[in-house]
Amino acid sequence: MEGRQTYFWRSVATGLCFTLFGLGGLILGVLVFPATLLLPGGSARRRARMRGLVQRALRLFVRVINGVRVISYEFHGSERLGRPGQLIIANHPTLVDVVFIVAFTPAPCCVVKAALFRNPFTRGVVRAAGYISNSPTDEMIHGASAALHSGDSLVMFPEGTRTRPGQPLQFARGTASIAVHAADVLTPVYVRCEPLLLPKFVPWYRVPPRRPHYTFEVGDDIDLAAYRGVPPPKASRLLNDRLLQHFSARLGASGGYNGDSGD
Amino acid sequence: MQTRDEILEQIKASLTELFELDPARITLTARLNEDLEIDSIDAVDLLDGLRRQTGRKISAEDFRSVRTVGDLVEAIYKLVQA
Repeated sequence: MEGRQTYFWRSVATGLCFTLFGLGGLILGVLVFPATLLLPGGSARRRARMRGLVQRALRLFVRVINGVRVISYEFHGSERLGRPGQLIIANHPTLVDVVFIVAFTPAPCCVVKAALFRNPFTRGVVRAAGYISNSPTDEMIHGASAALHSGDSLVMFPEGTRTRPGQPLQFARGTASIAVHAADVLTPVYVRCEPLLLPKFVPWYRVPPRRPHYTFEVGDDIDLAAYRGVPPPKASRLLNDRLLQHFSARLGASGGYNGDSGD
Repeated sequence: MQTRDEILEQIKASLTELFELDPARITLTARLNEDLEIDSIDAVDLLDGLRRQTGRKISAEDFRSVRTVGDLVEAIYKLVQA
């Protein structure tokens, strides 16, 4: 059992990490990105450069939050992330899942919440990196398909939002639709966090009683052959059901939650 | 120039092919979402199919207010008139 002091430190450190994340986003979006505009190369090169920068910045951020003992983590199979036309799908138990997955994937594209395009701390970065907003639906599907067709790897969270504690895992069908339309490879990443850090509906300063430990596990590719040549509405429904079963079997029906959130 | 009836036939063909719907269910008053279970993801596939068939640029904006098969016929009719 850790003492009161350690708990207090983790709470403060968590707040500092949030601040660091926000500042990092601002610096990248407001200072670094405009500076990279001065370098030669067209918009595609600029975007690729920005994605590379974001990846390195997030890798550093992961090192920091691990170093100051806010969390610990292990990441298995990252060498299989970042293939051309690869759709990477993960469950979404906590706020920072995407940070790890982008940190360990070479310069991926990403579908992110529309709110990040309005948030002053993240707006600059998500625009410059050419990330895709999850709304409206048609633009998301066309944008994501275009990114995969052009050879990007793309990170998506089929739950659309963080897992609702205690409720069964649910996937929005948009991800399956993009997979059947445009993915060359479909790769699952199983995310577990114990005890849970920053789940939905819990304020950030209520950190769990123990230091949370993240496990990221890149699973085997999911074969898409069975869904080719089937009309997309049917194919995406079949695939969505299959993905849900697949993740539920790996994580338990409630998706990365073990019922004990540490409260 | 296509008539509304021809457009309806075209839509029926698309819907039965894409969604394996019984053509008898596709009436002008049938609601896409509630009656035919076509959601926003399906709508994207439906519009992509119509774009290919008509060879026209169809913007999703023109279809935001579409609720029934009849609305859809009307929206496409306006587009091909334009």
